[in-house]
Amino acid sequence: MKKLGFLLITLTVLACSCSNTKDSRIHMREGVGSDTLGSNIVTRPVTHAFSALIGEGLEVTEAVTRRNDAGMLELYVTGFNKSYDTKRFRYKVQWLDADGLPVDTKTSTWLPMSATGKTTFSFKVVAPRTNAVDFRMDTRKWE
Amino acid sequence: MKTKIVNIIMLTALVVAGCSGPETTNIDIMNDEGKAVMALDYRDFDQAASKLIQSMIGSGALKKEGGGRYVVATGRIVNDTMQRIDTDQLMVKVETEMLNSGQAVMTSAIGSGADELLHETRELRDSDEFDQETTAQKKTLIAPELTISGKIFQRNIRYDRNRQQVEYYFQLKLSDVKSGLRFWQDEVLVGKRGSDKSVAW
Repeated sequence: MKKLGFLLITLTVLACSCSNTKDSRIHMREGVGSDTLGSNIVTRPVTHAFSALIGEGLEVTEAVTRRNDAGMLELYVTGFNKSYDTKRFRYKVQWLDADGLPVDTKTSTWLPMSATGKTTFSFKVVAPRTNAVDFRMDTRKWE
Repeated sequence: MKTKIVNIIMLTALVVAGCSGPETTNIDIMNDEGKAVMALDYRDFDQAASKLIQSMIGSGALKKEGGGRYVVATGRIVNDTMQRIDTDQLMVKVETEMLNSGQAVMTSAIGSGADELLHETRELRDSDEFDQETTAQKKTLIAPELTISGKIFQRNIRYDRNRQQVEYYFQLKLSDVKSGLRFWQDEVLVGKRGSDKSVAW
């Protein structure tokens, strides 16, 4: 019964610390910021195991394109790593012309990217041709 | 007797199977899931070239004021690694994309990408064997406005007792011929960590 009480108190304290207003642009890593459910020594094994069990991974939250001053299409991809582990992956962008046909370019190759646990990641890709108007992106695990 | 024959057949089959070794396969270069190697392979060059091209084209350094295309000469690309590398493995990709971007034309008149025949064919001006109207006239070559040069170098670091870390740096810079000003430069790092028994040269 005492143990249960202690656990409840710990969870309440952690919940309170989590509820503080945070600037989402700043990420405080484990051991730097205050403990959270995912970083606390007591709750960490459970939360990490649960995260792994439900297979949390990366999520792309935004993909924005814009044309730069040189007339080239730029793609900005932003996402979030929902997992507690660092996720390493590769991505490949294929550019499409106005007819929806692929633009043949040497830059369409698998490029490495890495996102640490519970953080936002972003990267930029530039089309090397002016006739690119759209894109297709593929991802795969970093071997 | 019968058992002996069976034994011989089985032994022969085993020897043949043992001698055949790993099967030769073509690499799926579109989706190569092969293991990384300590030396530089084509995937590293693809990655470095892609990042450098995107950086250069994205920077707007090739956008000529008033329109038109820059004439670019390829300068020296130094191979300062312990490997025997043909730097064209990087530069052909970069030059191809510069050409295809519609913002630059490469010159074969001078630089490391020079074509000797351009100069040899000019010696035909004095030859009676050639129709002089078909030979290249004087003052027809276009001088470069920009040069692109760079370096690939390697650092080997002992990581721990059994592992080494090899860092490969790909550096390129784009300079204006008239002013000498550098319009763009960038560096791509490809790092590898592995057994110190692996040879990175």
